[in-house]
Amino acid sequence: MSKFTRRTVLAGMGAAAAATALPAIPAIAADRSIRHFWWGNPNRDERTFKVIDIFQQHHPEIAVSGETVGWGDYWTKMATQTAGRNMADLVQMDYSLLFEYSRRGALRTLDEHIGNGLDLSNFDKGPLSGGYVDGKLYALNIGSNSQVMPYNTRLLEEAGVTADPITWTRDDYAAACEAITSKTGVKGSDDLSLVTENQEVWARQNGRGFYNEDGTLGFTVEDVSTYWDYWAKLREADLVRSKDKTVILDAPFAEGGMIKGETAMSMMWSNQIVGLQALMQDPVGAGMVPHKADGKPGQFIKPSMFMSLTRDAKDVEAAIMYMSDWVNDPESTAILGLERGIPANPNVRAALEPNFTPPEKVSVDYFNAIQDKVGALPLPAPKGHNEVRDAYMRIGTDVVLGNKGVAEAAEEFVQTASDILERAK
Amino acid sequence: MKRFLVRNTPGFVFLTPWLIGFFCLALGPILASLFLSFTHYDMVADPRWIGLDNYLYMFGRDRRFWKALGVTFSFVALAVPARLIMALAVAMLLDKGLRTISFYRAIFYLPSLLGASIAIAILWRQLFLADGVVNKVLALVGFEGPAWISDPHTALYTLVVLAVWQFGAPMLIFLAGLRGIPRDLYEAAEIDGTPKWRQFTRITLPLLAPVIFFNLVLQTIDAFKVFSPAFIISNGTGAPSDSLLVYTVFLFNEAFKFFRMGYASALAWVLLVIIAFFTALAFLSSKYWVHYENERD
Repeated sequence: MSKFTRRTVLAGMGAAAAATALPAIPAIAADRSIRHFWWGNPNRDERTFKVIDIFQQHHPEIAVSGETVGWGDYWTKMATQTAGRNMADLVQMDYSLLFEYSRRGALRTLDEHIGNGLDLSNFDKGPLSGGYVDGKLYALNIGSNSQVMPYNTRLLEEAGVTADPITWTRDDYAAACEAITSKTGVKGSDDLSLVTENQEVWARQNGRGFYNEDGTLGFTVEDVSTYWDYWAKLREADLVRSKDKTVILDAPFAEGGMIKGETAMSMMWSNQIVGLQALMQDPVGAGMVPHKADGKPGQFIKPSMFMSLTRDAKDVEAAIMYMSDWVNDPESTAILGLERGIPANPNVRAALEPNFTPPEKVSVDYFNAIQDKVGALPLPAPKGHNEVRDAYMRIGTDVVLGNKGVAEAAEEFVQTASDILERAK
Repeated sequence: MKRFLVRNTPGFVFLTPWLIGFFCLALGPILASLFLSFTHYDMVADPRWIGLDNYLYMFGRDRRFWKALGVTFSFVALAVPARLIMALAVAMLLDKGLRTISFYRAIFYLPSLLGASIAIAILWRQLFLADGVVNKVLALVGFEGPAWISDPHTALYTLVVLAVWQFGAPMLIFLAGLRGIPRDLYEAAEIDGTPKWRQFTRITLPLLAPVIFFNLVLQTIDAFKVFSPAFIISNGTGAPSDSLLVYTVFLFNEAFKFFRMGYASALAWVLLVIIAFFTALAFLSSKYWVHYENERD
């Protein structure tokens, strides 16, 4: 691994140089400082650095340095910094890892700062509640989202799809795939066989969840096999994206079927609609994950991202001030927009509304339309979730490629996942 | 002892930068990882001593460990001989005393310089996608290529082809070795009317044996440690169906994706032992097939 090591060391040195270079200039004037670390994309990073500039203007005595990497590298770097007792003061947190970090003592509670530096007087209670672990607030919601089935409005119109995408059923969706493929030549949908987020909604419609309250696997063999069967039928009828694209795991966003013009429908998180539209010509619409004919609601609204105060934070007062501005300051929130999800402060939403771009309008309208069609937020995923997700995609790949039967593979997955969760305890 | 030090002082002085690096930067982490390999360590909480559990789990219950070993051995068994044969073949072509040799040498070495880069791995992924360049070229001549990197049966071969393409470093060493073979041996063989093939097996190969040995050891060690291309082509997952799950990708995921740093440390030590074993095997076997010119009989 000599080549790899040398490069990472060089990259690390570069990053270290950059990191020390950035705050170096304001550091001369300021004797207080905070570090903010988030996972991002170019657009998000631009918005966030602007917000840092604004805070800097208001508080010249506090130097703020921002650090950002992509999602994949973020948790590697975060784990390394945690082990080295060198966490940034403020970090972006994800719902799936909130238990992991808060219960191991890497985060500090925010309760004592509410009303005492952290102004949450205009903050919806629902979104706030997602940040509680064992009765204490460890993470502040900085946006909410939900599952969404984005669709290419032009193709659905050409195919004459009339089902309402907010109330459509699994059968309606299959029929839409059929109509789109036969009338437009573009495949109806991405093949979602390997998408755990969609499998989760399927299981919730059956009255179960990804995990049980005690952290064991909630999916039954039947949940998994019926789900894989549904997609196998669409695949055999040649109504979904080709197998060789489906089995490429964690592919870059820009290689998605809708963006490549290969499919008309897909699945993602609702805050991603803005990013999806930026890469497409045809207008994007937003639908719900198709319902089971008589089922329970499968979707839920969840905090898309949090901001957390870490164990290693040095200037807590400054960090809380920064955090409070993030969710209240009109100038900052205007720049952040909906990029991280729907803000939980109604005043912020009202201020943003007149200036919505068309895709922002789509995502807000969607968010309003689903309010009474969603179920309760599940508990954050237990330890081992990352690995369960990998196992699902790996075993599902054998199903998609036809190397394993659905029933056999579903059994194997449930067994493998239970083993993983047992080991992760 | 004193004489030894005096005589070897210049050597140690030249080694100093490496020694400083080794003792200050490498040795600490190496010893720490040995300790961690006997612990449960998730990078957030403190390490917890669990004795041999990591090793027992690895050999007894972890099916992906065996899968990763299998993939890595397949890769080594295919890539090392293929790369060495390619390197030797090109080196012999270049040994013809061409005037433009330095130009060609540089051209053929280029992929090895580029090969370590992420960019090439990404390019490779694009080339071998189902609708990538390779299949488009195959389509021109009437073949319908498989979805190379999406098919568990062919994915590893794309990695092997990439490894073979980066034959530059062993080629340069072979070239130097070929230059060292006295020309008069070939002249004498020509006069005796020895066919080219026999010249190769009776003169070139035996006299080149030390260089072949050197390349074999280095390339084998390198191949066991293959990481970047497998990581990039499979988006870090080892997909499809773990067909690209080489040992280091498995280790990386255990460490930095599943936060099992103790287990990953144990994996790293097992890889060290495996590499040491094969290197020792090469050295032990070498006395039967490697002869040095200045050796006393």
